[in-house]
Amino acid sequence: MIRSKKSYFPVFLCFMVFSFVYMNAQEPEIQQFEGSLQLGEFIGEAKYEYKIAEGDTLRDGAFQMNRSNLQALLDEEDSSFSFTGAFKDNVPEGFWRFQFGEFQSDSKTQVVDIQYQVKVSGRQEVASGVIKDGKPHGKWTYTIDQIKDSEVEKLLFKSTIDFEEGIPQRSFRIENDSSTLVGRFLRNGLAHDEWSLFVNTDLGDTENWIFNDGILQVIEQQKNGLRNTIRVFDDTPKTTKTINLDSRYIKALQLQRSISDGVELFDKGIPRLLGENVKYYQKLDAILTELGESSFLPEFKVKVPYFPLDSLEINILDSIQTRLKKLREISSSFLNDSHLNILKLSDPDIQYHYEVVRKISETYLNPLERMLAYRESDIVEFATREKLIHNLWPEGLPSKELTVTIEVDSVSFSRTFELPDADNYKFEDYDMTSMDGLSRYAENSLHTVEEILGAKLTQEKNQQELIALEKELLAQNNELQQLIDSTQHTLGAAYKKALGRIKAVSDKKLSDFSSKEEVNSGRELVVCYKRMNLLAKSVAALPTRSKEIATVYNDRIWNPFMATLMDEEVKKRITNAYRQVLVPHFLERIQTDLSCENAGELTTQIENTVQRILQLREEDTSKVERKLRKEQDPQVVLQLFDVQPMTEEN
Amino acid sequence: MGLDTKIYIRFVLIFAVCVNFNGFSQEEEEKQVLPYESKYKDPKTKVWVNTYGKIRIGKRLFWDAQTHFRFQETEKTPFLGQIAQIYNRHAIGYIYSKKVNFSLGGVVRINFNTDEESIDRNVVPEWRIWHQYQFAMPLYSAMIYHRIRIEHRWTQGFAENSDYIFRNRWRYLFRAKIPLNSHKLEPKTIYVAPEAELIMQSGKAVVDSPMEDLRLTTTLGYIVTPRLTFAAGLMYSQGQTLENGGNFNQNWTMRVHMYYSPDFRKVRSKLPEIHLED
Repeated sequence: MIRSKKSYFPVFLCFMVFSFVYMNAQEPEIQQFEGSLQLGEFIGEAKYEYKIAEGDTLRDGAFQMNRSNLQALLDEEDSSFSFTGAFKDNVPEGFWRFQFGEFQSDSKTQVVDIQYQVKVSGRQEVASGVIKDGKPHGKWTYTIDQIKDSEVEKLLFKSTIDFEEGIPQRSFRIENDSSTLVGRFLRNGLAHDEWSLFVNTDLGDTENWIFNDGILQVIEQQKNGLRNTIRVFDDTPKTTKTINLDSRYIKALQLQRSISDGVELFDKGIPRLLGENVKYYQKLDAILTELGESSFLPEFKVKVPYFPLDSLEINILDSIQTRLKKLREISSSFLNDSHLNILKLSDPDIQYHYEVVRKISETYLNPLERMLAYRESDIVEFATREKLIHNLWPEGLPSKELTVTIEVDSVSFSRTFELPDADNYKFEDYDMTSMDGLSRYAENSLHTVEEILGAKLTQEKNQQELIALEKELLAQNNELQQLIDSTQHTLGAAYKKALGRIKAVSDKKLSDFSSKEEVNSGRELVVCYKRMNLLAKSVAALPTRSKEIATVYNDRIWNPFMATLMDEEVKKRITNAYRQVLVPHFLERIQTDLSCENAGELTTQIENTVQRILQLREEDTSKVERKLRKEQDPQVVLQLFDVQPMTEEN
Repeated sequence: MGLDTKIYIRFVLIFAVCVNFNGFSQEEEEKQVLPYESKYKDPKTKVWVNTYGKIRIGKRLFWDAQTHFRFQETEKTPFLGQIAQIYNRHAIGYIYSKKVNFSLGGVVRINFNTDEESIDRNVVPEWRIWHQYQFAMPLYSAMIYHRIRIEHRWTQGFAENSDYIFRNRWRYLFRAKIPLNSHKLEPKTIYVAPEAELIMQSGKAVVDSPMEDLRLTTTLGYIVTPRLTFAAGLMYSQGQTLENGGNFNQNWTMRVHMYYSPDFRKVRSKLPEIHLED
């Protein structure tokens, strides 16, 4: 017996070790995190459990995170928060509580039971409930209280909603400091029966939205004792679509013609309170989404009538969108053209066309743009085409004749614009084909006006530009003259002669232009004058540049016999070539071969040469100096100096 | 004093010097006889053509190379005279600062016998070791120079087998260079240079004639470039004869100078300015 017992023990031991290892391999070890954490705008101290699976960090187990700062509270104000809850495989699960506080204190403390107490005032938000598989489950409340001296002073907001795996159930209640909304849902989350809003402050004002299986039947309003019943949808719709009760739904309601005048309705009352509630739930959703996988937003469901777009209609809407973008650019460019705005005051024809553009924009483009906005909001399909178009043009589809009023010498009169081939466009029906015709009519009308206005503008602009060009030319001519005058007594004869030549060539060009008065040649002449001025400045600066070169090429030599420092010019062949070959060459070229075209080139060459000579001082030039001996050809000298060949200026 | 007398005296004096060195005393007595009054000989005219080179060989060193050709009037060739000495003075100079420099070197002077009637050797060498201390100071637009030059000199007469006598020379030169057409000494400047140099000597052979020479010169110079200067001037000098301190030589010397100071070092190593710190 003893023997057999002994022989089984190693087997048992192996089994134990194996199963321990296996279990460990199966169940990743739960680890603790404790430290600083940031969730969106919230930064605080967090403590939670997690595990590592396939390289991912999965929160699993209890979670808590909070922040409060006593010093900040005492100094001014503290924004505190505290989140507690739990996760399972990175999905929120179990009871969760969120608390946000914005408190001030009067900095007075008292000691109670060996604890310092500070009373706070401000605002506290608390949300709590159970989360199942990342979705609210059971009763969730969100309360906002106004706090004074650490006691609730006033209720600012409270919502209580029952959920079943994220879907709101049974009845709910949302209230704020001025009104209370109660309503109920079907088991599938669809709004049902009567949703009632009681306004606390006014004299029994109420607003009731009566749903039937998600479809809003009637809105009843009682305001200042007056009762108003609005039927939302005309008929019981054949096809419906279930959507969330959110801002999109409200927009879809606005689209219904019958209540288009009740815009005010949707900015207040039930939508406003629902919107407030959504805002708070979004705050919680943002936090939970940062932490793990969840879909926390409550989905209040409703049904809307549904009229899907067919492929033809989709194509039309697409082409309208493309067309409208271009048309808007054209119309804005005219309407915002400051020059045109001035011109229209003096020219009745321009005024007329300007007003036509405005009219096209108001009558055709703006409503079409609104239609595209409906599409952008994804509500186009929630109304009949007729209703949609009625909504855009409440007074009926616009005519092809656009009548504008213009004012000439304080007398107003009307003019009518119509395309000559207006009969080719049809937009009398309340459908998308009609919209297509209308947008094309708008397009061609605008193009017609564009041509007329464009031509007028070009002509006017040319005139303006000519005036500006003449002014500019005069200024440049003066500048040149001033340079010549100011250097009259300082420059040598050769330089003065070169400047004179520059002036003569410029003057000749200017008189040619005066006889033509053409914008293009004016523009060219401005460029020419700029070059001539630059060249003149370069020439006038040559003596100064020579002095600069002399200074650079000067070496201080110590003479042992005199025991003094003396100036010695070094690399004389280079400076001599510059002074005796290149400078005369430049001046000669100006005399013999100066034109608008090569003036820039000459300037560049002069400037490059001076720069190059200055550089050569520091370079090893023994080879160049040897080759420069008795060299008199300026082109060879330039080549030896490695002056960049002319770069044509534009 | 006729020519015969001159030759005679010279002959006797040279002889006397030799005898003096050999320990004889008969002629010594004759030499010792000082006249009651100092006697000034007739001035001789001389022409000196001098080249002065200061060649930079380093940051602070230069090679001082001077070659002088000295002519002295003779009976046959008055005024310009015939070649009397060819003078080779060399030294290594040290530039202490822009204003102060020192030199140390040697001189070989070839003395030609200008006595046309002499039957002695025509050429004898003379050796010197010399060192010099020069200080410059600016004064207004001019420059003032102080030069102390000390020479250790071995000379011998033209007589066959004459021995060398050793003397020290103590020279102090005061010189000014005053620019005439410029506010400072710079190229293209003409300057005038008055100078005075006192040459004292000592040595066993020097008994009663310590003042070897007093030279008073005025020179006109022209600075061509920082590296080349020409100058010419006239010098009057007088000094005791070695043989008898009572007798004074007088000379009128035309001097022509060329000063050159090339620097063959690479440009790079010459910068900046004075090229002392490079």
